Amino acid sequence: MTSITGSPTRAAAAPQPAPPGRRRPKRTWPFVLLLLGPGAVLIVVFIVVPALYGAYLSFTNTQLTGFAARDPKFVGIDNYTYLLTSADFLASLGQTGQFVLFSAIIGQTVLGMVAAILLSRPWVRGKGLWGAAVLMPMIVPEVVASLTWASVLSNNSEGTLNRLTGLFGADPTSWLQVVPMVSIIIVNIWRGVAFAMIMFQAALEDVPADLIEAARIDGASAIQIFRHITLPLIRGPVFLYLLLTTISTVGVFGLVYFLTQGGPGGATRLAAIYIYERALQFAQIGIGSAASMILLVLVLILGLVYVRLSKVEV
Amino acid sequence: MTATIPPAVTPQAVAPARKFRRRPLTPVNIVQRVLAYTLLVLMVLFCLVPFAWLVLSSVDGNAGPNVQLPALSFENFIRFFTNEGTPMLLVNSLIIGVCGTALNLVLGVAGGYALARFEFPGRRAFMFSILLIRVIPAPATIVALYLIMVNLKLTNTLFGLILVEAVLQLPVTLWLLKGTIASVPVELEEAAWVDGNSRLQALRRIVLPLIGPGLGAAAMLTFMGIWGDFLTPLVMLQSQELYPLSIGLFRAFSDHNHVDWGLLAASAIVYVAPPAVLYMFVRKNLLKSSLGGAVKG
Repeated sequence: MTSITGSPTRAAAAPQPAPPGRRRPKRTWPFVLLLLGPGAVLIVVFIVVPALYGAYLSFTNTQLTGFAARDPKFVGIDNYTYLLTSADFLASLGQTGQFVLFSAIIGQTVLGMVAAILLSRPWVRGKGLWGAAVLMPMIVPEVVASLTWASVLSNNSEGTLNRLTGLFGADPTSWLQVVPMVSIIIVNIWRGVAFAMIMFQAALEDVPADLIEAARIDGASAIQIFRHITLPLIRGPVFLYLLLTTISTVGVFGLVYFLTQGGPGGATRLAAIYIYERALQFAQIGIGSAASMILLVLVLILGLVYVRLSKVEV
Repeated sequence: MTATIPPAVTPQAVAPARKFRRRPLTPVNIVQRVLAYTLLVLMVLFCLVPFAWLVLSSVDGNAGPNVQLPALSFENFIRFFTNEGTPMLLVNSLIIGVCGTALNLVLGVAGGYALARFEFPGRRAFMFSILLIRVIPAPATIVALYLIMVNLKLTNTLFGLILVEAVLQLPVTLWLLKGTIASVPVELEEAAWVDGNSRLQALRRIVLPLIGPGLGAAAMLTFMGIWGDFLTPLVMLQSQELYPLSIGLFRAFSDHNHVDWGLLAASAIVYVAPPAVLYMFVRKNLLKSSLGGAVKG
């Protein structure tokens, strides 16, 4: 690493063979390639190429095993027509939609906003402690998060939730069997509140205190202040948060797979789980890739919608 | 990370509060506060209660899937470290986490330095495209990635997994370190060049010591990302002796007939400990260094 004269081995594959830069003519570009080249090449190989390769695979009948594994054929849009007419896949897209809407866009956003606002009150004591407690679900690895909820939602009469409902005289319920979707939505809300809180706390700090004060003097109620002053001012960060949380919620896999493995009867088979099952358990790489592409396009559309919405009438 | 710190008390913020406190609280104010604290308590309970079972069962000699008062013993932890198989999970996790983070940081510092210090065509496009990469949900590329790894003969090896994990976290690290390195005055480096250092020597002797906090944050984010990842090792590893803790826990849990709850809880505690300790340590040091900078500046 100490020699800068050694010719970079991966020069050809780096983003662009750059002409001499402005500051140190002729000596800049080998250096840039040496420093940035390896990282850029690896990003291309392990992130960009899989995305493109996945797009290609989605038009083939590639399999991991069997005849088609030897000699994958180009099948046009067969995989897509299969998926878009398959009740299973459409149901799994619908479940992903529900999951994102209720857990991320509604649950996490509302609870995170409530937490951020409460913790921005000047008279609340022990802000660090409250904040740290809310942060806990986010710091633990997703497998541990699932494990804790597996015990909370345990069908046993001594499970945490059944004990709580038992206090009100309810019979023990097998939560993950009876209300699987609601269960995983609540688990995901639990996991994501902290991220929303952090994002909104940062945004609320930037709202000028004198604006709020002026509105209060003019007789606006707390809700009016929030609706007409705070919310418009933090619009940008809120949409940024919605974008980030939508992307990461669509990508949720382990949290749900650990708890339900897509069951019971496919009731929690989110698109991510559908892809995993198809491609890696049933070895139908082509169909799994097509499902990935559909998911990717939907996320991109959602992302564009958010970006548009956040710019309009700020 | 600064967002988690409660807002600094600025003079403007203090003044109205003090005036406010002198007045006796109106009934409306009191109701507001009671309501606010109730909400806070409920929210914290919601966040913490699920951990009760985990903590109680890990120190319970005869733990089950239920919340119960533990028969206090550390037998579960002893079994975790002496059992056949389970210590290996921790070792694998550590190998993957530490090597992955190290590789990620080396690539990140080098790339971040190039992005921060050189003006070259395509630099902005590169920064923008690695930001866009974050839009791709992991499950959407995992299938093709798996096939590529199969063709490279890197599936079912720790080396392959380490490589993939390090690269998956690289876009974030590059962004973070580009910003951190750009904030180090270039004059300091120029002084080092004048003193006869090469660019890389200056990078090592001047820049690296100055970007400690940014490097720490990047290391923490990367390590926690790799440590907690479930999908990638699940897809990439098939042999049991290579499993990290995440997969080991999952396999032990899905073994419906004979789940060893106490051992499971203890393993989960062991699994949580490194990121939790790292988080506290880095946060404390990040705070210290930024405060130190403020005082000296």
